Amino acid sequence: MRTVLLGPQRFMTTAGTALRSLGVEGPVATINAGWEEREDVVDELDTVLGGDTRHLRLYHRSLDVIAKDAEFGSAALAFRDRHDALLAMYRLRLQNAMDGVYAVQRRTREGDGRARDDHPAHAALDDSIAVVRHVDNWYGTELKNLYAEIDAAAPIDGSGVIGWHRGELAELLGQSAAVVLTGGHVGTLLRTLRLFAIQLPDEVPVIAWSAGAMALTERVVLFHDHGPEGNTEAEVFDRGLGRVTGVVALPHARRRLRLDDRDRCAVMARRFTDQHCVLLDDGTALELTEDGSLPLGARILGIDGAVHELGAANGSKAVNDAPGGHQVMDGRGPGS
Amino acid sequence: MNQGRLAVNRLRERLPLDGAAIDRFVARHGAPIIEGERATFLFRGEADEVRVRHRVVGLPDPLPMKRLPDTDLWAATTVLPAGSRVEYQLETRNGEHYATFNDPLNQRVAHSPMGSSSVCAATGYQVPDWVHHDPEARPGEIVEDALHSKSLRREQPVKLYLPARYNPVLRYPLLVVHDGDDYLNYAAMKTVLDNLIHRLDVAPLVVAFVAPRDRLREYPNHAPHARFIARELVPALAERLPLIDDPQARALMGSSFGGVASLSTAVRYPGVFGSLFLQSASLVFTDIGNDHGGGPAFDPVVKFVNRYRAKPTAPVERLFMSCGIYEPLITPNRSMVPVFRSAGMTVKYVEARDGHNWEDWRDRLRDGLSWLFPGPQKFVYE
Repeated sequence: MRTVLLGPQRFMTTAGTALRSLGVEGPVATINAGWEEREDVVDELDTVLGGDTRHLRLYHRSLDVIAKDAEFGSAALAFRDRHDALLAMYRLRLQNAMDGVYAVQRRTREGDGRARDDHPAHAALDDSIAVVRHVDNWYGTELKNLYAEIDAAAPIDGSGVIGWHRGELAELLGQSAAVVLTGGHVGTLLRTLRLFAIQLPDEVPVIAWSAGAMALTERVVLFHDHGPEGNTEAEVFDRGLGRVTGVVALPHARRRLRLDDRDRCAVMARRFTDQHCVLLDDGTALELTEDGSLPLGARILGIDGAVHELGAANGSKAVNDAPGGHQVMDGRGPGS
Repeated sequence: MNQGRLAVNRLRERLPLDGAAIDRFVARHGAPIIEGERATFLFRGEADEVRVRHRVVGLPDPLPMKRLPDTDLWAATTVLPAGSRVEYQLETRNGEHYATFNDPLNQRVAHSPMGSSSVCAATGYQVPDWVHHDPEARPGEIVEDALHSKSLRREQPVKLYLPARYNPVLRYPLLVVHDGDDYLNYAAMKTVLDNLIHRLDVAPLVVAFVAPRDRLREYPNHAPHARFIARELVPALAERLPLIDDPQARALMGSSFGGVASLSTAVRYPGVFGSLFLQSASLVFTDIGNDHGGGPAFDPVVKFVNRYRAKPTAPVERLFMSCGIYEPLITPNRSMVPVFRSAGMTVKYVEARDGHNWEDWRDRLRDGLSWLFPGPQKFVYE
């Protein structure tokens, strides 16, 4: 299984090079539903990928489904309403849980020096982060239940329109020597991937960047520390395709995260401690190893809140070596 | 060394001066002259007195200008902290005759329903770039609508903003804006909405701009007005437009008396709206007695706010408040924040070095709208 995760392509285009490095011969399927209504503006993409492309047009297909299948259309709206309500409740709980983490973290840090061995304080921090994980897991479970309810109420597998599109997409994917997933709106991308039950065969190489890279992971985490409404907490959004395991993909990390705020980054790394928080900035190109691990040199957030290179002298090692590999890699972080 | 000495003081040292020298001085420095955290206002002409009129709490108003000896140049210097923005006019007295007018040496003016004023912007103040037309931002549409209001006993016009790429298949949150025409005309709100939605700062939303007929009667806690908004306008719009049927997706907004109208409507109809956006709301109250000093127009306001303060409720979940620190309403607004919070509402409160005016309210739109209706920025990774 060959998978390449790239940094954003807007200012530093590396997709063509990555594709050539895979030695792909044959048409390339593109999934750029995240571009939404600009999905058909593909001249630049075609040029970068060499021209032999098959655009799956998932976004426009989804509009076609909504227009032709009234039952699905109303079910999709009902799902969106309930998902929005769930997200609102999740955000409420998440913010309160994160406020607790930061409060404990401040107290713990204030105690550093005179109370470095203040085990209750450190245990309190661990526990407060566990509360956040509990909220994340609660949301994940509720979302799963929501999908199950909606699927039971209006099974999309029974829709003729969806079935027709799925058939055509399977044929297009079957003819493709590689698949490319671009950036864009990750919510739209995930929705369309799910609607058309897109599965990426292991034997087909995949190149993905930004939202596309996020969609390949098991769990998609949204983040933006510099939004107009100020700091907001990273939030779990949905399951991804799961082709890339043990990874939280963080595209545009330099632009979107306050990487200089080590306390905040430390909380993020510890919150997703069973996964590597991987920075996918301009110019990044990570081909996963044969067993699906991140390659050495991948830039990740350590639990000390600093950015580390996987496999660097501080003892980093690949994520899939062992459960909890993240902790093994960083210990309590250099200098702690 | 000229550093640290005001330009007008350096000019004084060169007295006596002829008209041409003063012409060159004014042409070189413009007016007002901003030097660090000080602003020097200038006027040229014959008068018995010249004064700067403004409404900045904390500075003397009027601010008398002094004539430079044997010239027609008048000047007054005042402190003006970085980031400030002040609206002002000049006033002259010739005998018993007074005249008030915009600063003829300053081309920068702001408009409002009351007319226009000159603008003095301190170091560090910049008009936000999202206020100006952005050719890349796909424009939304303003649709003129109207509905017959039994409560108000009239045909009530409503201007509806439909965002770019409006699609009836989708569903949108709703914002109802008091003084709607003024927000469109003096706070560039359509352009702001277009830009903020384009930048993903704000979610695509439907906005109903509503104008009053008799503002001083309808806005300070007026039952027919509240009934019109909550029981007539919102249901009518929900029938006509694809709106999200959830209080959390409905907000009321207003500035000054429009803020009072927003709050009092929400208090009369709790649970209909999920959030409020109050800008320099006229939340005047008294702690004892009824002497509020605001004149008869404020009587119903004070009665309402006093009653609310005695028994605060949480008619909405989230409340965004902004106020200019140079306006008299800063104290009531600051005082209400803990009251609203103690009632159980989530309050975000921001202040600006500005006054009670439309450009201040315009400049705070991004803060408020992006907090109340966050855009999909968190979802987009290009």
